[in-house]
Amino acid sequence: MAAIELDGVTKQFGDVTAVSDLDLTVPEGEVFGFLGPNGAGKSTTINMLLDFVRPTAGEVRVLGLDAKRESVAVRRRTGVLPEGYDVYHRLTGRKHVEFAMRSKEVDGDVDAILERVGIADAADRKAGGYSKGMRQRLTLGMALVGDPDLLILDEPSSGLDPGGAREMREIVRAEADRGATVFFSSHVLGQVESVCDRVGIMREGELVAEDSIEGLRDAVEGGETLVITVDAASEENLDAVRALDGVTDATTDGGTVTVTCDPDAKTAVIGALEDAGVTVKDFQTEETSLEDLFIAYTEGEVSA
Amino acid sequence: MTWQAVARKDFEDAVRSRWVLGLSVLFVLLVSLAAYLARPAPGQTISSNQILNSRLIRDALVTTLIPLIALVVAYNAVIGERESGSLKLLLSLPHSRADVVFGKVIGRSGAIAAPVCAGFLLPALIFVIVPAVNFDVASYLGYTALTAILGVAFVAIAVGFSTAASSSRRAVGGAIGTYFLFVPLWGAVQLPLQLYLGMSGSPSWLPLTGQQVLRMLRLLNPTGSFKIVSNAFLQGALYTQGNVSMQVSATLMLLVWILVPPLLGLLWFQEADL
Repeated sequence: MAAIELDGVTKQFGDVTAVSDLDLTVPEGEVFGFLGPNGAGKSTTINMLLDFVRPTAGEVRVLGLDAKRESVAVRRRTGVLPEGYDVYHRLTGRKHVEFAMRSKEVDGDVDAILERVGIADAADRKAGGYSKGMRQRLTLGMALVGDPDLLILDEPSSGLDPGGAREMREIVRAEADRGATVFFSSHVLGQVESVCDRVGIMREGELVAEDSIEGLRDAVEGGETLVITVDAASEENLDAVRALDGVTDATTDGGTVTVTCDPDAKTAVIGALEDAGVTVKDFQTEETSLEDLFIAYTEGEVSA
Repeated sequence: MTWQAVARKDFEDAVRSRWVLGLSVLFVLLVSLAAYLARPAPGQTISSNQILNSRLIRDALVTTLIPLIALVVAYNAVIGERESGSLKLLLSLPHSRADVVFGKVIGRSGAIAAPVCAGFLLPALIFVIVPAVNFDVASYLGYTALTAILGVAFVAIAVGFSTAASSSRRAVGGAIGTYFLFVPLWGAVQLPLQLYLGMSGSPSWLPLTGQQVLRMLRLLNPTGSFKIVSNAFLQGALYTQGNVSMQVSATLMLLVWILVPPLLGLLWFQEADL
C-alpha cells in the first residue's frame, strides 16, 4: 500500500499557485527525499499531508486515509517535524515529550527518547532557553514518540551542525530499518543522498524529477561538461554539434560553448565546431556531479 | 478526543506565566482589603456572606476586574500559538481542531480559576480564626466557584475571538470591545433606559414590556447573570425562592456564554489554512 498518495493536487493562495497538479506516490517502507529550492512548494505539500492547509483541487491520502476527513487518525500514526514551528518556552523538554505521549495516548520512556535525540542533559531545562538545534532535536524526539508508521520531516537538518545532521540521518536510517516510511524535505541534495531510496525534485510548484538516487546517478554517469573557449560562436554553429551522437546539450554565450556529452564524443565536438568555421582557442572538461544535476533541475535548465 | 492533553499542557504552560502568580497575589490582597473595610465594630460579628456581598468584592473585584483579567489571560490562547508557530507543533500531534479549542477553554479556565481560588481561600483562613466573623463555609466556597465560573465565561468569549482572529491585534480588539460593552457601556445604558422605560413604558412596536426589556438586558450580560445567580445563592434562595425562572435563565445564559463563543470560533477555525 502507498504511505502517501497525491493525485492531481493543486494549492492556490489567492492568485499564487504554490503547488500545481501534483501527482506523487510514496510506497510504504520507503525513504523519500523531497527536494527543491526554498519556495518550490515542498512545505505546502507537507502541510496538505497534515491538514494544516487544504488543497484547492485534487486528492490527498496518507496511510490509506483521507488527509482531511481522517486527519486525526493520520496524525496518530505519524511523527512530524514541521517547518516554521516553535516550542513552548515555559515548558521543559521533558514536559514536551510527556505531552506528545499523552496526545498520542501511548506510554513510553521519556528519558530514552531525549537520550536518543541527544538532549537528555537538558531534559529539565525550559525549552525557551534551547538553541535552534536543540529545539530541532526536541521536536524530532516528539515525532519519534509511539513508533510512528510514517515520519514526515520538513527540513530536518536546518539548525543542526554537521554532527547533528549526521545523527539525524542515522535516526532516519534506524526508523526505516524498523519499517517506517520516511518522507523528508531538504533544499540540499547532500543531506539526503546517502539515506534516500528515492527522491522527487520540486520546482515552482511542480515535480520536475522523480527517481531513485541510482537512477539519477546513472543519468549523470560518465557525463561530462565540455567548456570550450572560442573566438565567436552562434546558435547556428551549434546545430552541427547537437546533431552528434552522445551530445545531450549545447549552449553558447558567444565566447564560450558549453556542451554536455559522453567522453567519447569530445573530439567530434571540437571537430564539428572547427568545420563550422569556429576557432577553438582552449577547452576543458568537467565531470558532471549529482549536485550539478540537482542544480540544473532546480534552476530550470533541465526538464524531465 | 485528546482535549484533556491539550488542556493540561495549556494549564501547565499558563500557570508558569508571571500573570497567574501576580493575579493570585492581587486577589488575596483585594479580598483581604475588603474584609478589613467591612470589619465589624468591636464586640459585633459579621457573616462572611456580608463580606462577599460588599461593594468592593462584588462590584469592584468580581464583576469589574474578573472579566478584564479573564480576557487578558485568554485572548492570546489560540492566535498566540498560531503566530509563534507552536500551533504547528500542537497540530502535528493527533488533536482535532475542536480538541484544541475546547482544550484551550479548559486550560485557560484553570488558569483563571487558580488565582480566584487562591485569592478567596487564603484570606478565608483568617476568617475562620477571627471570632468576629461568622464564617459560612458552604456559601463562601460556592461564591468562590461562581466567581470562577464568571471568569470562565469571559475566558470562553476571549478564546472564541482568539480562535477566529487572523492576528493577535484583532483578538485584542475583540477582547477590549467585549469588556467595554459588558462592563462600562452596559451599565451606562441601563440606568437611562430604566428611567425612560419607567416613564414612558416600552415602545408600542416592541412586543415586550419595559420590565421584560430590562430583564433581558440584565440576563444577556454575563456579569448581570452572575449577579442574579450569586445574589440568590448568598441569600440561600437559589432555585427555591424569589424569581426562580430568572435564576434558571441566568444560569443557562452563563452556560451559553461558555459554549457558544468557542463554537463560533471553531466554525471558522475548522476551515482555516494555518
